[in-house]
Amino acid sequence: MTTGARLLWALLAAVAVVTVGVAPASQSAPAPQLGRNIKVGVVDTYSGPPAVFGNDALNGFRLAVNEINREGVLGARIEFVTRDERFSPEIGLSVARELVLQERVDVLVGTINSATALAISAFARDQRLPFIVWISKSEAITGARGHRYVFSTGENTAMAGKALAEAMARRPYSRFWLAAEDYEYGHAITNSFWRFMKRIKPEVILQGQTWWRTGEPDLVPYLTAIASARPEAVFFGTGGAGMTNVLRAMKTTGFSDRIPSMIHTAIDHAVLRPLGAGAPEGVMGTIDYLFYHPDTPANRAFVQAFQTAYGGPPGFPAFHAYNTAYFIAQAYRKAGALDREKFIDALEGLRIDSPVGRIEMRACDHQVVLPLFLGVTRRSPRFPDFLVATDIQTIRGEDVMPTCDDIRRARGQ
Amino acid sequence: MDLSALASQLLVGLSRAMILFIVSAGLSFVLGVLRVPNVFHGSLYMIGAFVAFTIAAWAGEPALGLALAIAAAPLVVALVGLVVERTLLSHLYQREHLMLILFTFGVMLILNDVVKLVWGADYRSILPPAALQGMASAFGLALPRYNALLLGAGPVVAVAMWLFTHRTRVGTIARAAAVDREMVGVLGIDVSRVFALAFVVGCYLAGLGGALVAPTTSISLGMDHTIIIEAFLIVTIGGLGNIWGALVGSLLFGVTQSVGLLVWPQFAVVFPYLATVIVLLARPTGLLRSVW
Repeated sequence: MTTGARLLWALLAAVAVVTVGVAPASQSAPAPQLGRNIKVGVVDTYSGPPAVFGNDALNGFRLAVNEINREGVLGARIEFVTRDERFSPEIGLSVARELVLQERVDVLVGTINSATALAISAFARDQRLPFIVWISKSEAITGARGHRYVFSTGENTAMAGKALAEAMARRPYSRFWLAAEDYEYGHAITNSFWRFMKRIKPEVILQGQTWWRTGEPDLVPYLTAIASARPEAVFFGTGGAGMTNVLRAMKTTGFSDRIPSMIHTAIDHAVLRPLGAGAPEGVMGTIDYLFYHPDTPANRAFVQAFQTAYGGPPGFPAFHAYNTAYFIAQAYRKAGALDREKFIDALEGLRIDSPVGRIEMRACDHQVVLPLFLGVTRRSPRFPDFLVATDIQTIRGEDVMPTCDDIRRARGQ
Repeated sequence: MDLSALASQLLVGLSRAMILFIVSAGLSFVLGVLRVPNVFHGSLYMIGAFVAFTIAAWAGEPALGLALAIAAAPLVVALVGLVVERTLLSHLYQREHLMLILFTFGVMLILNDVVKLVWGADYRSILPPAALQGMASAFGLALPRYNALLLGAGPVVAVAMWLFTHRTRVGTIARAAAVDREMVGVLGIDVSRVFALAFVVGCYLAGLGGALVAPTTSISLGMDHTIIIEAFLIVTIGGLGNIWGALVGSLLFGVTQSVGLLVWPQFAVVFPYLATVIVLLARPTGLLRSVW
């Protein structure tokens, strides 16, 4: 070895010593067992009205990833890259393709848009790459069009529809009106509700139905037309901006004071907060996460951490995304390797401790089992700035989920 | 069918038509005088709603907040319009329409991002004062109180526009420029200033529409897309550049939608567009005389 080479080696050794010396403790740990970091590709809507949900989910995910990375996953860390699908299945599919083929992500997560979720799901199956859906609620995702590579960490329209129908069936109404937004989720939730309603209470009558196009800004004419038909109760199938528009129009027309109204996610904080005192009271709704309920140490800790990081309480997308990160971390710990098939095997039936308690990724359909909360919008002295859900009833996830046999039938197996 | 329900629904449709009229009158005026198909007109409407939100939130008290918002938000939007017109648009009047559409489309994308930067992606809403919430009934007809206010606002704007175009010098020149702008220039009139003013008036109307609609809807990104498509359809069926055409088009659009909801709720979405198709098949240049 020449003097120059020896000098170079000495220099390198010195640099290495210095680097290791100043590096944080986590990086001086034994060699990573996973070999490299876990790379997650996030596809969601970060522009236009649904961005409020996409951003909430991303915040929840980021919070969990930061917590997880403090101790790491088998010596590795979780990294993620995000792409804006702009609420379009075409864009969603093309960015998912880019994340898989160019960024070489290990797992895809995301999407608020159910149509995008289904498009990426088909792509993930072809690529044999795990895809975890965290906001989209169409039951087709883990139902009829489910497969080995797709998972859902949120409740879906089958669960919500059944929970809502069971709640409505206990009330003395039989003449119903269905009013919904004309898109994948609007159809899925409305069909699910009505399917269960007819099954639970066969004497119900569908008096009429109204569909409005996505983005319809003024729903007052729709509500006045429905009100003049005098149905006994109305089920609304909408979410996001459509939801806030419906609630605004309800307040303007006093609709919910006169006709019992029910909407899945009407009691969602992301919906009620921006409306402030402009939200109507007395609307029945369901959701799988409320930052003020259950009032447990785990939920309080999650809310506190989220509030400190982002200045406001988490919504249901943040809750789903937070759990998604923990499912990913736990599954890799269990799998012990960056292997897609082993990851999926590990995720099937996996249980984690979420802010609302132990939740499970059901093995037969890859649908998370978590509780739903049924409540009614009301003013509360505890929160003067916005309405909250009151009279909250907890519905167990396993009671409203389709059975594994139902799923097999739906998938034609 | 219940006759009073039909009448109430007709009134709701008319009140919705008033918002459409205010916005599309602005679009039509700019189209007529400047010959600019202003694609970012919808963005100005959205900005009007967001500014109205900010003003109302700042004022706190709902009645005062709403009054201030409706008075001041359109002025802010008019100012935005003035800046865009003076710095950019005024240099481009000679370009062909396709270029102007591309340019105004570009401005729409920019303004959309500006709104996102300033107000974020959250939904906003304005709570109208208690006196304007709920339903009002008179002569057996029920109508949301706020929509009754809108019913009054439309005619006020229509009359104001008529007075402006027929009773003021600038308005008359603007009207003349709409018919023959070379001739107006030949007469030695500073067309540039007239154009600037006409553009600002158009923007003001977009902002006014946004401020008026704000308490009835959730103020959010994307409200620009919906309105601009409807406004262009209305202007087309009414007759390009003709403000009264915008009025007729808005009434047709609003009323077919609301009455359609009563008659055939499942397919009500289709009615306004069906009406548009029928009008354009029968009268390809619109119901009233187009100034183009």
